[in-house]
Amino acid sequence: MMAIRELKVCLLGDTGVGKSSIVCRFVQDHFDHNISPTIGASFMTKTVPCGNELHKFLIWDTAGQERFHSLAPMYYRGSAAAVIVYDITKQDSFHTLKKWVKELKEHGPENIVMAIAGNKCDLSDIREVPLKDAKEYAESIGAIVVETSAKNAINIEELFQGISRQIPPLDPLENGNSGTIKLGKPGTQASRRCC
Amino acid sequence: MADNLPSEFDVIVIGTGLPESIIAAACSRSGQRVLHLDSRSYYGGNWASFTFSGLLSWLKEYQENNDIVTETLTCQKQILENEEAIALSRKDKAIQHVEVLCYASQDLHEDVEEAGALQKNHAYVTSANSTEAADSACLPTEDETLNTVSCEMPAEQTPSSDPESALEVNDAEATGEKENYCDNKTCVPSTSEEETSENLPITEDTTEQPKKNRITYSQIIKEGRRFNIDLVSKLLYSRGLLIDLLIKSNVSRYAEFKNITRILAFREGRVEQVPCSRADVFNSKQLTMIEKRMLMKFLTFCMEFEEHPDEYKAYEEITFSEYLKTQKLTPNLQYFVLHSIAMTSETSSSTIDGLKATKNFLHCLGRYGNTPFLFPLYGLGELPQCFCRMCAVFGGIYCLRHSVQCLVVDKESRRCKAIIDHCGQRIISKHFLVEDSYFSENTCSHVQYRQISRAVLITDRSVLKTDSDQQISILTVPAEEPGTSAVRIIELCSSTMTCMKGTYLVHLTCTSSKTAREDLEPVVQKLFIPYTEMETENEEFEKPRLLWALYFNMRDSSDISRNCYNDLPSNVYVCSGPDCGLGNDNAVKQAETIFQQICPNEDFCPPPPNPEDIVLDGESLQSEASESSAIPEANSETPKESTNLGNPEESPE
Repeated sequence: MMAIRELKVCLLGDTGVGKSSIVCRFVQDHFDHNISPTIGASFMTKTVPCGNELHKFLIWDTAGQERFHSLAPMYYRGSAAAVIVYDITKQDSFHTLKKWVKELKEHGPENIVMAIAGNKCDLSDIREVPLKDAKEYAESIGAIVVETSAKNAINIEELFQGISRQIPPLDPLENGNSGTIKLGKPGTQASRRCC
Repeated sequence: MADNLPSEFDVIVIGTGLPESIIAAACSRSGQRVLHLDSRSYYGGNWASFTFSGLLSWLKEYQENNDIVTETLTCQKQILENEEAIALSRKDKAIQHVEVLCYASQDLHEDVEEAGALQKNHAYVTSANSTEAADSACLPTEDETLNTVSCEMPAEQTPSSDPESALEVNDAEATGEKENYCDNKTCVPSTSEEETSENLPITEDTTEQPKKNRITYSQIIKEGRRFNIDLVSKLLYSRGLLIDLLIKSNVSRYAEFKNITRILAFREGRVEQVPCSRADVFNSKQLTMIEKRMLMKFLTFCMEFEEHPDEYKAYEEITFSEYLKTQKLTPNLQYFVLHSIAMTSETSSSTIDGLKATKNFLHCLGRYGNTPFLFPLYGLGELPQCFCRMCAVFGGIYCLRHSVQCLVVDKESRRCKAIIDHCGQRIISKHFLVEDSYFSENTCSHVQYRQISRAVLITDRSVLKTDSDQQISILTVPAEEPGTSAVRIIELCSSTMTCMKGTYLVHLTCTSSKTAREDLEPVVQKLFIPYTEMETENEEFEKPRLLWALYFNMRDSSDISRNCYNDLPSNVYVCSGPDCGLGNDNAVKQAETIFQQICPNEDFCPPPPNPEDIVLDGESLQSEASESSAIPEANSETPKESTNLGNPEESPE
């Protein structure tokens, strides 16, 4: 059996750019027009194979705390990757993307993998942000970038595959969380099916 | 993004300290619409943890806070005829007597900045860049109040040629203070300025590898984000109320913990390890065989002392320390039990208190490791944030940097009906929860507060060196004089994610009898020496060296009766700031009591239903607020989250 590596991924971006829709599409291959503003998954999980490892993504949503700029530092703790989302039809959301990157650099772990998702690419008729701009910016900060559509299931899998590839191989010396304790009732070690 | 807050809630919570955050989570979990506000730019209030630059900003903010003179109420015109306002304070009076001392040498030629720190962040408007913060935190305050901020630089300084440097200010201050310092016979190296500059390499070449693990102030600044410095220093009893609540509510999934690895005692000028678990006792080299047997016998008795009343009934009237003398215990063992295991006062704790405390300690042993205590990775300030996240997941709305001008009270019913925030927006609600420090002086004019003395030290090695440099220790230094209290010391290593590699973060806490520095510096001097560039011959026996120290007093608003506050309507609840105790039971009890008043007969923080227990039936799930049910389709696909949680009994050491 392949080793399972748990990877925390946090989502960032303005309210309404489609953060939850991206997770929803990725985890359940489902899209809901009326998704409630993130009263929901504290984190969702999905396991994907990567090389000779299995990557179990624990995807954390903001729970709405970004709405009034009140994300807690604990949100970023221990994240292996961050998906920073903007809406290609809203220049503003691309502008604030840069602020989210700054915030991430300030509060996030050092070697965090950054992925930028220009969501709603199904609406490219009313596009405000050229892909070129996003690419240039992503290159300048060493992030991967892809335009996605949670609605039409475009590039969502690819986004997370891209993250998987960027995750550095497990350092045998830092064998995970040495001596750290997770509280909780004894877990029923049910091995769930993965894709 | 320029969203307006909704104008109606069930519960408005002001302050994001631990009790407020637990209540917010519990209310939200029970389906209440919760608005959670804090006037500060960070979570946790006086329960917060800061990076090093964050702490410097906090010092600065605190000082600016002192400068707020008038508190004008601009919301008056919004108050109707049948209403009155209870003004809230904008000035936080909970922190006093702040003193910062830097012992590490400061390289003035570098433009020091925290690595990864960025210029003005949109979300942290109040946090200035670190050098600025250090600068103004060190400015002598001209305030006439009791509050003082001072910053002294007893350690050598490399000559500066940079007139813009923040240290110019400190320099003047340091020279000014120096006389004072020597007179007081404090722990300053007795080097005059001249000696200092002779002995020092004039400029330190940054490319040259230092011989020893020398740590400079600029390194601390650069590695500043490795620090998570708690304002309040506490641990979690592994069978305490907070651990139980974290597990019950599943909030535990948001945090990770470390076991405290050592219980230490300070005796006859030496720090030694206290054997407390069965394994420790048997492995102990400092105890004789007879002592081992004595101690095991006594501890075994304490585990079930209630079943043997005849053994202690006769001693109920005397103190625990007297009682211990009547037991078959050597002075050595008596000391360990009294100060390090029961952690009770020599003069004021009764036999029963001591036995109970000992039993509690022993009861907590072994659940997660060899000591009864846990500490959260990244500091205690994570815990309020975890509960806030739980609240948000169930729909609670969060807004930092949002102050409240006043509570609006209906004259006739004497009930609070709304708040008016700093934007002048009126937000109505049924219940209002306010943390003590938000009340104005008018409201607390009859309240008698106690004080907590705190010190935070950054040191270069552990108080007790062992093979592993990653030890987390608790040490109690008994009171020296009557009327003072024991000093509790918690030493954190870098793997707790609260300090940079090669350093230790040391927290000292006691009930105040004077200012924090007066209360704690004598103990600091016993255990540490100021950092100097010079290495002494005998490294082995040397005490750990102090790189940086902060002293402050924090108001202890725990255990204050609600009736002491003037004219509070019945639907306004008061949460206290942190108490002085080691555990967190006080906060949890307080939270549960207030929650029961707001939501009578509701379960307190029940676990969210497991995805698999929910019957998937589309719309019918709406009423059952749950992390998973809000996106019903998630349920069948999302693995049960509890599988992520290890069995604590089997956790690796």
